[in-house]
Amino acid sequence: MSAKIKAAAVPMGLIETPFYPRLAALSRAKSWIGWAGYISPLVLDTVEFEYFAIRNQATLFDISPMHKYRITGPDALAVVNRLITRDIRKVRDGRVGYAMWCDEDGMLIDDGTVFRFSQTDFRLCCQEPMYGWLMDVAWGFDVVVEDESDSIAALSLQGPTSYSVLKDAGLDVAEMKPFDWREVEPDLWISRTGFTGDLGYEIWVPRDHALAIWDRLWAAGADWGLRAIGGQALNMVRIEAGYIAAGVDFQPVHAVMRLHRGRTPMELGFDRTVAFDKGHFNGRRALLAQQDAGQRFALVKIDIGGFKPADGALIYHRKRTEVGHVTSGIWSPTAKRNIALAELKAPFGISVTTDLWADVYVHEEGVWRHKMVAVVIETKPFFANTRARATPPRAF
Amino acid sequence: MSKPSDLTYDAVVIGAGHNGLAAATTLARQGKSVCVIESRDGIGGMARNAAIAPGVVAPKMAHLLYNLNPKTLKELGITAPKSVSLPTVSLADDGRHVVIQGDLVIYADGSAHPEAATFAALHKRLTKFAALLGQMSLKTPPSLAGGLMDMATLQELAGLAKLGIGLKRMGKKDMREFLRILLSNAYDLILDDFADAPLAGMLAADAVRGAYAGPRSPGTVFSMMYRLGNGGDVRLPMGGMGAVADAFANAAKLAGCDIRTGCGVAQVIVENDTARGVILADGSVINARSVLSSIGAFQTMQMAGVQHYDTEAVRRLRNLRNKGTVAKVNLVLSGAPDFVGLDAKLTAGRLLIATSATYVERAFNPVKYGDMSNAPVIEAVIPSLSDPSLCSDGQHILSANVQYVPYALAGGWTPAARQKLLELTLDRLEVYAPGLGRLVTHSEVLTPLDIETQTGAPGGHWHHAEMGIDQILTLRPVNGMARYGFGIAGYYLCGASAHPGGDVMGTAGRNAARQLLKDGVLA
Repeated sequence: MSAKIKAAAVPMGLIETPFYPRLAALSRAKSWIGWAGYISPLVLDTVEFEYFAIRNQATLFDISPMHKYRITGPDALAVVNRLITRDIRKVRDGRVGYAMWCDEDGMLIDDGTVFRFSQTDFRLCCQEPMYGWLMDVAWGFDVVVEDESDSIAALSLQGPTSYSVLKDAGLDVAEMKPFDWREVEPDLWISRTGFTGDLGYEIWVPRDHALAIWDRLWAAGADWGLRAIGGQALNMVRIEAGYIAAGVDFQPVHAVMRLHRGRTPMELGFDRTVAFDKGHFNGRRALLAQQDAGQRFALVKIDIGGFKPADGALIYHRKRTEVGHVTSGIWSPTAKRNIALAELKAPFGISVTTDLWADVYVHEEGVWRHKMVAVVIETKPFFANTRARATPPRAF
Repeated sequence: MSKPSDLTYDAVVIGAGHNGLAAATTLARQGKSVCVIESRDGIGGMARNAAIAPGVVAPKMAHLLYNLNPKTLKELGITAPKSVSLPTVSLADDGRHVVIQGDLVIYADGSAHPEAATFAALHKRLTKFAALLGQMSLKTPPSLAGGLMDMATLQELAGLAKLGIGLKRMGKKDMREFLRILLSNAYDLILDDFADAPLAGMLAADAVRGAYAGPRSPGTVFSMMYRLGNGGDVRLPMGGMGAVADAFANAAKLAGCDIRTGCGVAQVIVENDTARGVILADGSVINARSVLSSIGAFQTMQMAGVQHYDTEAVRRLRNLRNKGTVAKVNLVLSGAPDFVGLDAKLTAGRLLIATSATYVERAFNPVKYGDMSNAPVIEAVIPSLSDPSLCSDGQHILSANVQYVPYALAGGWTPAARQKLLELTLDRLEVYAPGLGRLVTHSEVLTPLDIETQTGAPGGHWHHAEMGIDQILTLRPVNGMARYGFGIAGYYLCGASAHPGGDVMGTAGRNAARQLLKDGVLA
């Protein structure tokens, strides 16, 4: 065995995604971050342009760094149902389901989307690396787990004109309902999914088809205000839609060192994704026990008075007792409200929902001020528009 | 008498070894209806007799009693067969054999042993520590899961507190010593006080008996104390180990248990995450309100189906350490052998070939690489000398535990490999009993693989799972499953891989059944 390792065999630093050549050419901000080992734009132009493009036009965001796993074989359905808390039997072929999965204590490992090709073929798409866990979950079952993270390129096309962009690119998705999933052309799969709460699609192609599909969409998008965006604008719209982010609104339990940092689906407000009646799944007994004992925390959507973003602010009851904190907070330019997701300790956010206050710190050119601002718990997403669900979608 | 299958038993017990029988008896004596299912034709598991030649009954596998707990026996209504306490003889190459009985040590020729006082002191200390640990063996390992505000957890803690108080009561010096040596290795402890000779060899061999460990392995002081749990007395039951198993079975029958042999359990029926009975290999169904399994922990999981277990539990059970290292060699002799320098009484004792602690450690080395020891540690006993009823026509049976022998021998357990093991064993015995080989009229070699095949004990391991510091108490068999309940409601582990572990004592079975009752499964 040669002791020498060829330099070319071990890439150093961040890896370029399949779309990097196009993104690099568009980047004015030169604002890049590492995402799962890949180089990914935080902002390409300005965050304001990008945010309003998502809400008013159409946008392309490179989601190739997402981890993607293919689970195939006679027991694939059993393995997926063993993994996740919801019942995948109720997701039909050609559909996508949002899913959470837990450790033996019922603590969330990660959340993501399950794409069902058939009952013997699934794709799991998520934020955290999951191959080792999936291999363990699949032990004893007749399935093959394949890591497709590097072989599948993916783009998120989101915004009110996204349907029109696809149409002009010659891709017919008119009949696709939210969470539908089709092979529109050979080796080109499109799902009506996204992280924006708006009309949008995700496009999945083999890695070497990446630039061709980008160019095709880009050409078709010229008349529809298509822009490429970075992760910062996306983060704003996902908070508006009330979506949670791994490592932000919950800590993936495999990545935490300290005890009791994990959270259950119920504690994150996702009771509806736990199907206790489907047979055993990972963490089921622990989750049942928590259902009896009561949840320890509640992740809630809140409206904070004023207009200063309150990310990280502590939440108080009667302005005295500390009961939680903001996990994600922004000023929403669309809702024109100061919105956030916040984690509260039980019973706050569950049976006690009033007289809550955020201690908001504001830094103004070297001077700090802070103020107790009233907090109102919301049950609906801050952004909701019928265009997101209309089938066929409207042109705009 | 067996009930028609449309009836529902309170409990079905898988396996009619001593632990399965102890669990069944515990439940039946509380008025529960119990059915014990054994796949083999006879009961007893590892504690069985076998007629291995005309007129010769051998202890098939286990041959001595160490930790049979009188409290357990009384509780289960077991009348144990008469037994005799055997002296241990640690054989020496120079003929200066060492005799150990309780805390007394002398040479076989009757002369005083220079380390007798040192041994008595160590024995006293370790027995005291062992008694302290022993009080944990009759209890379910504690759980702190409920947190300190929980009443049930506080009761659990009371048990632990008792251990702490016992520890304090020993006095500062002893307490420090206990905590100092608890996790350390036997080799260092022994050689702190003893010359590396047959007496040290005996201590080292007993510390690793049945284990995948050498005396230098960490945690072997713990297993040494475990051996001394009930004072360290080594007893030979009259009528063989089979008589002990029969006593367990009789108690079970007396308590009203049904025992069915010859058709094993193929699958545990699980409905709504609750054990509802079993399906036998012949397809028949036995309904029950609970199921207890005395087979290995991993096998217990598979019996119900991996799909009922959390991924972490499966991973832990897959990685359970259970590589057996002991082969059983049974030799039928045409007459009583003559061990040089031993009188008839000592020849009938427990004969050890472990000439030094280093010898024992060296014997362990090859097994790590899939080979058997060329100079194995042997524990031999000739039960027919103490119990003539076992053999007729002047024949005798020599029963030997040969350590270390790998479960998965490199190259596999071919007839040639078995022959080699037999010859190695005979060669070692011949050193101390010249001419013994000529007396052998029939022989039987049981490798760890054979023991697994014949009893189901995973890896052929005596304790179903190594008694390592990472697999005892709250971690036995694995983290999260130490309280006998085995994931599925009403499904319990009651075999040697549950706390407190192996040896023919039935405590694991008894504890499991008590926990099942305490959990209100049959309420």
